[in-house]
Amino acid sequence: MSEEKPYRRLESQDLLQQIAFRHGLEAMAASEEGRLAWVTSGFPVEIPLAMDVFPTYPEQAGAIIGASKIGPEVCGFGEDLGYSQELCSYARSSIGSTDRPEDVSMGALPTPQALLACNNICGTVLKWYDAISEMTGAPVHLLDTPPLEGEQLPHHRAYVRRGVDRLVEFLADTFNTRLEDEEATRVANLSSQAIRLWTKVLETCVNKPSPLNCADRFLTMAPVVSSRGMEHCVEFYEALLAEVEGRVKEGIGAIRNEKTRLLWDNIPPWFILRFFNQLAARGVVFPADTYTHAWSGAVEGSDTASILDGVSEVYSDVYLNKGLEAKVDKMCELIKDYDLDGFVMFSVRSCKRYSLGQLVSKEMVTERTGVPGVVIEGDMVDSRLFSEAQVQTRVDALLEMFV
Amino acid sequence: MSEGSFGIGIDVGSTTTKGVLIDSSEKVLASHLQNTGASAPKAVEQLLVQLSTQSGINPRDCRIIATGYGRSIVELAYKTVTEITCHSVGVHSLNSEIRLLIDVGGQDSKVIRIGQNGRPEDFELNDKCSAGTGRFLEVMARVLEVSMDELGPLALKSKSPSTISSTCTVFAESEVIGRIGSGESASDIAAGVHLSMASKIGSLSKRVGVASPVGVTGGVALNPAFRHYLSKHLGQELWIPERPQLTGALGAAIIALRGQKE
Amino acid sequence: MSYPILIEQSNQILRELVDAGQRVLGYIYPHIPHEIVMAHGLTPSLVRTNRTTVGAYEDSLQTFSCSLTRNLFSQRVNGSFPLLAGIVFSANTCDALQNVADVWRLRFPEDNVIRLTYPVGDAGDSAAQFLAKEIKAFSDALESLTGTAFQKDAFIEAASILEGIRSGLQLLYSARLVNPSLIPYKTLSELVGDFMTAPTKTVLTRIENKWAEVLDGLRKQKQDGVVLKIRAALLSQDIGDIDFASDSAVRIAVIGGMVEPTTIADLIVNIPGMKPNTVVLDILTFGFRTVFTPPAETEGDLFENAAQSILGAPSEPTQEGLPRRMRFLKDILTNLSIGGLVVCEQSFCDPDEFEAPSTERAASEVGVPTVRLPIDPELSDRARLEGRLQTFLETLDTS
Repeated sequence: MSEEKPYRRLESQDLLQQIAFRHGLEAMAASEEGRLAWVTSGFPVEIPLAMDVFPTYPEQAGAIIGASKIGPEVCGFGEDLGYSQELCSYARSSIGSTDRPEDVSMGALPTPQALLACNNICGTVLKWYDAISEMTGAPVHLLDTPPLEGEQLPHHRAYVRRGVDRLVEFLADTFNTRLEDEEATRVANLSSQAIRLWTKVLETCVNKPSPLNCADRFLTMAPVVSSRGMEHCVEFYEALLAEVEGRVKEGIGAIRNEKTRLLWDNIPPWFILRFFNQLAARGVVFPADTYTHAWSGAVEGSDTASILDGVSEVYSDVYLNKGLEAKVDKMCELIKDYDLDGFVMFSVRSCKRYSLGQLVSKEMVTERTGVPGVVIEGDMVDSRLFSEAQVQTRVDALLEMFV
Repeated sequence: MSEGSFGIGIDVGSTTTKGVLIDSSEKVLASHLQNTGASAPKAVEQLLVQLSTQSGINPRDCRIIATGYGRSIVELAYKTVTEITCHSVGVHSLNSEIRLLIDVGGQDSKVIRIGQNGRPEDFELNDKCSAGTGRFLEVMARVLEVSMDELGPLALKSKSPSTISSTCTVFAESEVIGRIGSGESASDIAAGVHLSMASKIGSLSKRVGVASPVGVTGGVALNPAFRHYLSKHLGQELWIPERPQLTGALGAAIIALRGQKE
Repeated sequence: MSYPILIEQSNQILRELVDAGQRVLGYIYPHIPHEIVMAHGLTPSLVRTNRTTVGAYEDSLQTFSCSLTRNLFSQRVNGSFPLLAGIVFSANTCDALQNVADVWRLRFPEDNVIRLTYPVGDAGDSAAQFLAKEIKAFSDALESLTGTAFQKDAFIEAASILEGIRSGLQLLYSARLVNPSLIPYKTLSELVGDFMTAPTKTVLTRIENKWAEVLDGLRKQKQDGVVLKIRAALLSQDIGDIDFASDSAVRIAVIGGMVEPTTIADLIVNIPGMKPNTVVLDILTFGFRTVFTPPAETEGDLFENAAQSILGAPSEPTQEGLPRRMRFLKDILTNLSIGGLVVCEQSFCDPDEFEAPSTERAASEVGVPTVRLPIDPELSDRARLEGRLQTFLETLDTS
């Protein structure tokens, strides 16, 4: 008799490997052709893509390094170069794998010809890419999106818009290329299609049982980050949406025995995603999380100018660029919309922008929603900072509140 | 007897206080090591008495250089010099080929690149965290219920060291307790502890640049498992002086002597 | 002046100002438009970290919040800063200050927390225009806070005081580079500290008097010309042409972020081998980088002028452009005969910790040895810090 796992595997997950493999090959080819850019996860990638510059993502490479359980080792390579252990582990592992790619089994990226950073996700990306620039000789370009307090004001939009123009100039100069209306609209359309499909996928999780657990979403989010604007990305999300809608129709959940529905906050611990499967065995599912819901808007536009205007708005308005109250609002909204019983906040040591303040937001979310939550400590790549025993105790204490 | 013929070096550490008395040819006439205990000045007093008894020379007739954590409390000292410089000079006088020196003490560890003239060119310290220092081994010895002297030989018995992944002593202690609980052998765990130490020291060394030959001083140098795993990790043969805890005091004594010749 | 006395003195100055009816606006990041603050009848004053603070942040901040923010937050929990009308937090300059401002607002709702958002891209005019608008919004917030509208006369008077203070300090920094015995680093750091405490006419006079004294000494040695040249070169960030001869004594510079010159001056006081003339320059946020800020013009759009002034400071607040910062550093080290560089690294400070390896690399490319100083506002493990510096000096000592 075979033992049934408490969670169900997505068929679409098989497509992920193909996409990742393809992306890796294309990145290598682009690097050889002198048109590869390393890009931050919140960067308006539609622009370089429309200018025939191929993007690849050090943050995703960091997740792979974490999942391959070589996080501490590769971070160590960065620390050997003098980077403090207190710094972001995505940055440390990226610096480490750039220094010693031959010693990194998975997650070393091909040599870039440009480094494109947008600080809508945090203030350290520029400094991280500065370090990489010193190592690879590739120039860094920053799209500065100062954090918002409330609505984006006209002068903010104008500043970012001028920054987007500067970006186009930089790419044109560096790669001897141009931004044409046709390409810009084509890429922007593909990107917004993918985002719309992804958003629908996320929304299916309001159903009970939830057709997806957070680990499923963490993995299936990869293409919308790394490949939006490309056709196969749309195809993937069409397939995923079909599978997920199929589950909803059949009343099939991501886990077999859904009892407790929780919100997850922050980047996941890539090195121990089985943590979520362990909880699945106890009937715990995460129908929503702030990480995959970070993608807010799509960029629409009929010509280059309107697309660039859209970029200046949409890319300034992301979850991590709006302050603590906005984060609390979002979490409360998700708890309400997805009918959640509680929440787990992962205090990621590496990420001040995401984590610093959770001790306060935890109180606020409980106050506003009436549901209990817990803060657990760790990191997304550096497993040395994650103590299973400690985490288990806290999560158990939370689960006991639902009995 | 003129003041210029002898030099005394006193190394006041948080755990032990060491002293060396040399003559004008840098020959050691007296040396002593004792626990610092609760009163460093008292330990220094007792130390000087020992040096005096062994050599027949009055310390007040000698120039004294003080080094170590407690160097500023030595009233008779002509001046203070840090341990980094003293270890460097001391090791250089014993073996002038050594280019990289690793000193692991009770509370901190240091890596020093020694220049051609015997003085340090570059250095790195691990002084904020007890992992990678003698303290780490003490804590683990206690958990494994062996003495510090037994810990090394115990580790050497292992053919497959456990993995201790925590870099923090406090978490590593919990990890070790966990492994004992799950039935791993004491020798494998002890070996894992030394592997972890070696890795931490190795990282510190890379910041300065590993250059052959490599010397190791400090109390932990007496631990055979530490030497074994560190040598393996660095891919280098290690040179250990005969009395690895005294190199700081020796270096201080040499500096005292040379200072008078100028 | 020892550290406790400095704190006492700066509190004294603040108390006197408050007693005289002045309202004080605290700031944390020093690149603020002082003139704008003063145009609303407020005195801008640095919110200082305190060496003896007991940690009281655990309910609100995780330990990876930088040690500066934890220190300030703990002080606030323990009831400090009662004299302030409000506190300015910078936005977009670093994630710790970004997030802690939100936490502060929520935990201390009775405090008036005002945000000033900086552009950090190397974006020329568009950055200046963005900052000008932000400064205008800042000014509106100050008006709401105080009920006092922006007074152009007060702005102009403040601009004159600020220009005088900065000018005097720039000259003293330059003088110290040429002839350190004329002005001890301790004295210079105290004058910078006074400026941070309150940019008043009294402070201006103190600085002007000191400069007059130093100028006298320079003239006697015919060094006044080269000092003026150095000052101009540092202000324009172009020091290629300085013809500079120094004696063989060891000359050290200290570089880093959010640590005050007075803290450095206090730290080095007991270190054997550290002579009064050893530290010839600091390149700190609270020192050189705010002192060598160009003045705000008083004609035309005053908010734009304030923005241009702030963006003209060396190495910050603009963050894009590491190569340029490193070139400037190398020029300083080479042309001003610096023999050693102390790289301060504040605990859990992302900017410091990311930049330290690049700084060390740049220094080593021009043959200047470096040492890292892991610091926090409490100067914990002071003995070990002193040991590090003493060892560093021993490695530089060629004898």
